[in-house]
Amino acid sequence: MAIDRLATSTGTRPKDALAAYLSDLAAQLNGPRRRRDAILTELRDGLEQAMQDRIAAGLPRDRAAAAAISQFGSPHAVADAFGGELTTAYARRTIVWFIVTGPLVGIWWLLLLHLSPWRTGLIALVAAIPVIPLIIAAIATAGGTLATTGRLMRWLPETGPRRALAATIAIAMLCMIIDLTMITVIMVSSAPTRPLMIIASAASLIRIVYSITIVQHAIRMRV
Amino acid sequence: MRPELLKGHLDALLLAVLEPGPQHGYAVIESLRSGSDGALDLPTGTVYPALHRLERAGLIASDWQTVGGRRRRAYHLTQAGHIALTEQRALWDQFSTAVTALLKTRTWPSTA
Repeated sequence: MAIDRLATSTGTRPKDALAAYLSDLAAQLNGPRRRRDAILTELRDGLEQAMQDRIAAGLPRDRAAAAAISQFGSPHAVADAFGGELTTAYARRTIVWFIVTGPLVGIWWLLLLHLSPWRTGLIALVAAIPVIPLIIAAIATAGGTLATTGRLMRWLPETGPRRALAATIAIAMLCMIIDLTMITVIMVSSAPTRPLMIIASAASLIRIVYSITIVQHAIRMRV
Repeated sequence: MRPELLKGHLDALLLAVLEPGPQHGYAVIESLRSGSDGALDLPTGTVYPALHRLERAGLIASDWQTVGGRRRRAYHLTQAGHIALTEQRALWDQFSTAVTALLKTRTWPSTA
């Protein structure tokens, strides 16, 4: 086990032992890069402080480093402990991406289909765009997950990491179905090809590719 | 003391430790240990993720500082955190009073 190896190594300099521990930990953390970097920076400070405290208490530097590492636990255990927070951070970041880019994709389809939701009303909109119920489901899932993994979890039941990840997969799948449906509808409509059609289809295709990547990554995180 | 015994109370303990002023993660671990005479010697993997979760809930916030050439993340209570701590204290008082009353060695009245 890495921790035993580090704790018993006699030829390793204290700084190298801490660096090796953090490197081992970094390899096992799975989640958004900025969050992982912040965790490693925070733990590096904690480890060095733990080591300094032991040196101040009279331990030699190499034993102080080994004791600090031992106190923090094995990289595997620490990575496991941060798994939930990193998974939730990944789910929240991905859901925000879908919320932000949703209108950027949808606006081209609205322009292409000459629909003005504020004038035509919901029924006409649903008739023209059959994926409206799916869009509503995706928005509700996204909003609910963000609310119950953020500040509102003080009042609402908290959504755990696994459920947040499941919601992310569901939103990505819904987006894929929405985009594929819209592309199919426009292709079978025998409407003449227009620049707007190409832009709308390209936007949807980009989101389909991103959604596939998200689903694959999220499924790997669940395992 | 086993960390699982703290289930449901860790949030309140962390808020209480941060009440006097900002502290970094390792200092929080040390405060829990020294404040409980060594009874609460919690592992890193319990305290740091719990602090991150409290920050996500808006009960604490953090600032990055540079101390001795190292980047350090210091946590402090938010207004919502102060309110939550007051509520948690009241709940704990009720809970501990009830449990202490029940755990006292005494003769229970017969139902026969």
